[in-house]
Amino acid sequence: MSVQEDPVQREIHQDWANREYIEVITSSIKKIADFLNSFDMSCRSRLATLNEKLTALERRIEYIEARVSSGARAG
Amino acid sequence: MPLVKRNIDPRHLCHTALPRGIKNELECVTNISLANIIRQLSSLSKYAEDIFGELFNEAHSFSFRVNSLQERVDRLSVSVTQLDPKEEELSLQDITMRKAFRSSTIQDQQLFDRKTLPIPLQETYDICEQPPPLNILTPYRDDGKEGLKFYTNPSYFFDLWKEKMLQDTEDKRKEKRKQKQKNLDRPHEPEKVPRAPHDRRREWQKLAQGPELAEDDANLLHKHIEVANGPASHFESRSQAYVDHMDGSYSLSALPYSQMSELLNRAEERVLVRPHEPPPPPPMHGAGEVKPVPPCVSSTTGLVENRPQSPATGRTPVFVSPTPPPPPPPPLPSALSTSSLRAAMTSTPPPPVPPPPPPPTAALQAPAVPPPPAPLQIAPGVLHPAPPPIAPPIAQPSPPVTRAAQVCEAVPVHAVPPQAEVQGLPPPPPPPPLPPPGIRPSSPVTVAALSHPPPVLHPPPTTIVPAPHAPLMPPSPPSQVIPAPEPKRHPSTLPVISDARSVLLEAIRKGIQLRKVEEQREQEAKHERIENDVATILSRRIAVEYSDSEDDSEFDEVDWLE
Repeated sequence: MSVQEDPVQREIHQDWANREYIEVITSSIKKIADFLNSFDMSCRSRLATLNEKLTALERRIEYIEARVSSGARAG
Repeated sequence: MPLVKRNIDPRHLCHTALPRGIKNELECVTNISLANIIRQLSSLSKYAEDIFGELFNEAHSFSFRVNSLQERVDRLSVSVTQLDPKEEELSLQDITMRKAFRSSTIQDQQLFDRKTLPIPLQETYDICEQPPPLNILTPYRDDGKEGLKFYTNPSYFFDLWKEKMLQDTEDKRKEKRKQKQKNLDRPHEPEKVPRAPHDRRREWQKLAQGPELAEDDANLLHKHIEVANGPASHFESRSQAYVDHMDGSYSLSALPYSQMSELLNRAEERVLVRPHEPPPPPPMHGAGEVKPVPPCVSSTTGLVENRPQSPATGRTPVFVSPTPPPPPPPPLPSALSTSSLRAAMTSTPPPPVPPPPPPPTAALQAPAVPPPPAPLQIAPGVLHPAPPPIAPPIAQPSPPVTRAAQVCEAVPVHAVPPQAEVQGLPPPPPPPPLPPPGIRPSSPVTVAALSHPPPVLHPPPTTIVPAPHAPLMPPSPPSQVIPAPEPKRHPSTLPVISDARSVLLEAIRKGIQLRKVEEQREQEAKHERIENDVATILSRRIAVEYSDSEDDSEFDEVDWLE
């Protein structure tokens, strides 16, 4: 009996091993996907903050340029 | 439900049907799963590349901005170090004449346009089934529109909004032009004012003789103030006409005394001039507050009690915030009604025919029907007995009918002398948007009843053509719509003017057609110029609405240059 079961058992054991292997791979794929999403979100938020700062700076520079240039015109 | 932006393609690893004739099924499943894993990895890498690409593009644009900012800062630092010791502000003219600083306000717009759709979503969209290919019929259409637009038009709502905004800017501009004209016409009005003050001064002089009676002056003023404050809404429109300082519904007590006295004088003058009006009482303040006035004013008698508070009732719905007549946004209708009332207030020969407002706002004209006739009273000798009692029945029929009825009422007052008919022609300005077709049949009837097919009434351009025919038979249609006195006037004027009228009508028809083409060309030109720039459209609209009239042209130029 054990002789008859062995190949089946071996197959089943093998199958379990394969499935575990596949599971490891799929879980790491999910981790990669999660990492990509969170990276994307954090990058976007940082870029948005940067954008805000840039816009504020640009407006200030515009204002200062206007002030300075008007002074230049008066001369 | 959140929309999935990126989807890893083979979702299920082993949910596939196994091929037949395989001995070792477990191995088969394993192999299939491994193959799907590889496919998943490939789609994952594709999406990762997409994610990093988007982030990179944004960061790249920021790098450009930062570099330009850096250059500007460098230049500024240099110029600042050069500036300080030498330059000084020279003349005051320079300060005032220089253009005011305006920072560049770049607004985000057209955010959810088809072009801004991210690539992965575009791919998902492409997978969907296409709409039927109706665009192949486009070359066979007469009006030049795309066939698919009738089936599905993604830009429909934006186009609608854009049209509405542009139309509103046009309307506002024309209103302001009208106001300007009225400003020019206004010099006539002060002529009437001097009458009242004399009376008051005489009274005061009489009263001032006795120190005991001096208190009564203060009382009188208080009563006048109460009366003025009561029908505050009533006076608002007038104050807008007479005193340009006021805007909207403000308490009159906030005004300086001089303006107050002006208003009160005018109120009295109105009381004096309005003998025949059978006015309804104002809900705002019962006759109690009005009563003190009669004793003050010598010439008026019990009339003041009756002082029609139809104008007040009519006005309160319009001006005071609780507006019973429902729909349209308050600023629009109030603006329109104030404009219509201002229009009604001109005492100069061009009759105060209010501009035909868009149909939705026309509903508000119903309560406004009593007010315009009231100010008409100011024109000496021109009295309108009918309107207030007729106002309620008019309120029920369809709005454009009521509006036209109001116009009919307003006009015939001045149209009694046949000359006024011709005068009545220089009329109402702007073309309102197209009224719904259901209303069209009624409007030509009422328009016809006016007997001035207002050539400027564009919206029903086609209906104006049948209109000229209608005036020839005014009695039957208008009788249903317009109060009784009117049809009597029309037949009387008809036989006298019919010949002249036919010629006039033909000229008007041609004028209408000509103007229609011109306006279309103008509009088309404008539409070509105007791009889908939400910011400029909105800014233009807001500028026209809230800015002073003189700023309009400046704003427009600026916007065009943008």
